[in-house]
Amino acid sequence: MNTLLSAGLILLLGFIGARLLKYARLPSVTAFLLVGILIGPHVLDFVTEGIFAASDFFSSLVLGVIAFSLGENFRLEEIKKGMKQVMWISLMAALATWLLVSGAIISYLIIVGQPMYPAIVLGAAASATAPAATVLVIREYRASGFFTEMLLKVVAIDDAWCLMLAALAIAFANAMRADVFQISIVFAGVGEIFGALIIGASFGYLFSFLRRFVKTSEEFLVYIFGLILLNVGFSIAIHVSILLSSMMMGIVVINLARENYKFFEVIRTVDAPLYLIFFILAGAHLDFTILHKMGIVGVLYIIFRVIGKVYGAKLGARISKAPKPIENWIGLSLTPQAGVALGIGLVAKSTFPDFGNYIFTVIAATTVIFELVGPLLTKISLIKVGEIPSTE
Amino acid sequence: MGRFHQLNSTLGLALIIITGYFGAKLLRKVHFPAVTTYLLVGILIGPTLLNLIPVRIMMLSDFISNFVLGIIAFSLGANFTMKSIKASGSPVIWISLLEASFASILVTLVLITYAVLRNTAIAPSFVLGAAAAATAPAATVMIIREYRARGTVTEMLLRVVAIDDAWCLILSAFGIMLASALASGSVNFTIIISSLAHVFLSVVLGGLLGVGLHYFSKFVRNKEELLIITHGFILFIVGLSIQLHLSSLLTSMISGVVIANISNRSTPYFESLRKVDMALFLAFFILVGANLEIGMVPQVGIVGLLYIVSRVIGKFVGVAVGARISRVDPRIGKYLAWGLVPQAGVALGVALSAKALYPAYGAMIFTTITATTVVYELIGPLCTKYGLQKAGEITLTE
Repeated sequence: MNTLLSAGLILLLGFIGARLLKYARLPSVTAFLLVGILIGPHVLDFVTEGIFAASDFFSSLVLGVIAFSLGENFRLEEIKKGMKQVMWISLMAALATWLLVSGAIISYLIIVGQPMYPAIVLGAAASATAPAATVLVIREYRASGFFTEMLLKVVAIDDAWCLMLAALAIAFANAMRADVFQISIVFAGVGEIFGALIIGASFGYLFSFLRRFVKTSEEFLVYIFGLILLNVGFSIAIHVSILLSSMMMGIVVINLARENYKFFEVIRTVDAPLYLIFFILAGAHLDFTILHKMGIVGVLYIIFRVIGKVYGAKLGARISKAPKPIENWIGLSLTPQAGVALGIGLVAKSTFPDFGNYIFTVIAATTVIFELVGPLLTKISLIKVGEIPSTE
Repeated sequence: MGRFHQLNSTLGLALIIITGYFGAKLLRKVHFPAVTTYLLVGILIGPTLLNLIPVRIMMLSDFISNFVLGIIAFSLGANFTMKSIKASGSPVIWISLLEASFASILVTLVLITYAVLRNTAIAPSFVLGAAAAATAPAATVMIIREYRARGTVTEMLLRVVAIDDAWCLILSAFGIMLASALASGSVNFTIIISSLAHVFLSVVLGGLLGVGLHYFSKFVRNKEELLIITHGFILFIVGLSIQLHLSSLLTSMISGVVIANISNRSTPYFESLRKVDMALFLAFFILVGANLEIGMVPQVGIVGLLYIVSRVIGKFVGVAVGARISRVDPRIGKYLAWGLVPQAGVALGVALSAKALYPAYGAMIFTTITATTVVYELIGPLCTKYGLQKAGEITLTE
């Protein structure tokens, strides 16, 4: 099969799959992932080499677009409104998940007499969430309201916490393993975050500065994609987080000029095919044959991650006096897990020669579960708080 | 430049889009059409000069070019509604048939004369003549869109470049057949028959897929889904045609024709394409530029020069005669041929199949066509713009 045919099938089958699974009340994200698994290498094998080769490049573009769009939610006047709650909820949800997952797995590892340090890294990976899946669920069901707004901000901020926790975790794990605490790993983590913020902010300024040359609406798109790609490419080149830098770019763009909201609108009108391809490719990459390898550690990871998210978010909401619906449901809506966690798994794989592979396998296996179930839980929470119009 | 050789793919694509975009802005000041700028930028950052485009992006060239040509052919199909075929069907056929065959015949005759004078083989002249029939819909469409050209000449031009490809396919089969008949001494009709079958099957497949898209589209509920379906379908059509060794340009165009005729609300398809394809077009032309073999230009030689001049004369005479016969607006006879000067992928395709079918002179044919394509790609869009300007159909005030 040639690459064009394969790409055509991805789009058409994704569409058909999403439409069919709508009857089963499943969100499109889940449908795309299932179609991806179906046409992926383990089942039908419709996805060609050429597409697989381009897929990491494509994913970083889509993540850049998503994170840039998330930046729109951080207008300065809005930040003042709910920022305290966003901070507390996201911090608590991430911390509690880290502590609970690490704690549970450490106890287990002590019982079976294995080294404990992998637990710390697994806990950090568990704190990550998945902005892409969350955004798509919100958009598909046209959810709106203060819960939705809060959720969008929390998944955006989350990544920063997760990156910091991951840097700390890897430094701790390394210390436990080799008996030296390398402060440089922590610094590298913090540097990565600041680097991403500085790059994103600079490209945001550049974007706003050059926009005076953009005239017709057809040009808008070329311009936006060009600059998002530039920012993403630059972030990859100097090894900082694509998600953070793109989000920062979006924040700077939306705050520099009021009329810049037009750019975000233009993106929204054309990004549907991008999301579809992104999730189908993610599905095609999901290796469900490793599910049985996750073992008891994987099961503990799953259970305590959900508990950590739900109760951590609840705690954060209570501390910052957020409204009741947020306190009750925001944790559940944070359950999707995807690329950020896998990224931590990859770092672990290259840092720890002995247990790195094991850590990666557990993260990859649990990601299969959370990618498929997470969007559904997000949908349920949005229905429970009444922010999805009940037209279905 | 050593350090920049390792640009990652994302940065490479960003570079393409940004240099193309701002390059076009800059060169607009000297009245260069965007297409020409993209090609020049492509040549500049491509492998021959600065070599800034990462290999992985260069590897996407085929994919992007097939996709974009499919989009363009599909959109060209929209110009053939039953109403417009009734109104201007016969002029389109006359003009396209005559401009294609006149260019072919003239190039063939001139090159045969030259070959006889130089005492070399005359066989390649037939293949080169056939390639001369081809035009380049992509460049023409870009110019029309950039300068917001509209009017009778523009409409006719869009239809002529669409039909052109079919004639070129048939003519090139004749050319290759004649050439190999001369070489082997026996006439091989299978080439003609297979090429007619090729055209016929492409039309049938395009028609079927068009009807399929029409029924499929009943499930589409909003614009976002339309975007997915239209692009998915074009990729599917092009991919399937390539898989079956049919002409993807013809199948995509016929699908567009079918949709424009059987669906009473077909405009959204074509609109949904227009909204997003500018970025694709830009990348397409920059990659075309990057893939242009500018090193070949010195090898144009006398054969190439004769080819370039006689092809253009053939097109102009053919259009003038066709317009006279079918009694259309005299401005069409005068100015339309300017829009037919560009030459690109279709001609290169003829050259490639000649190289495969006919190894003896294949390399020489290929070199001539590649080298002349470079020349035509660069001057063609300017000619199209000039013609439309003269015809008074450019509405954009610069």
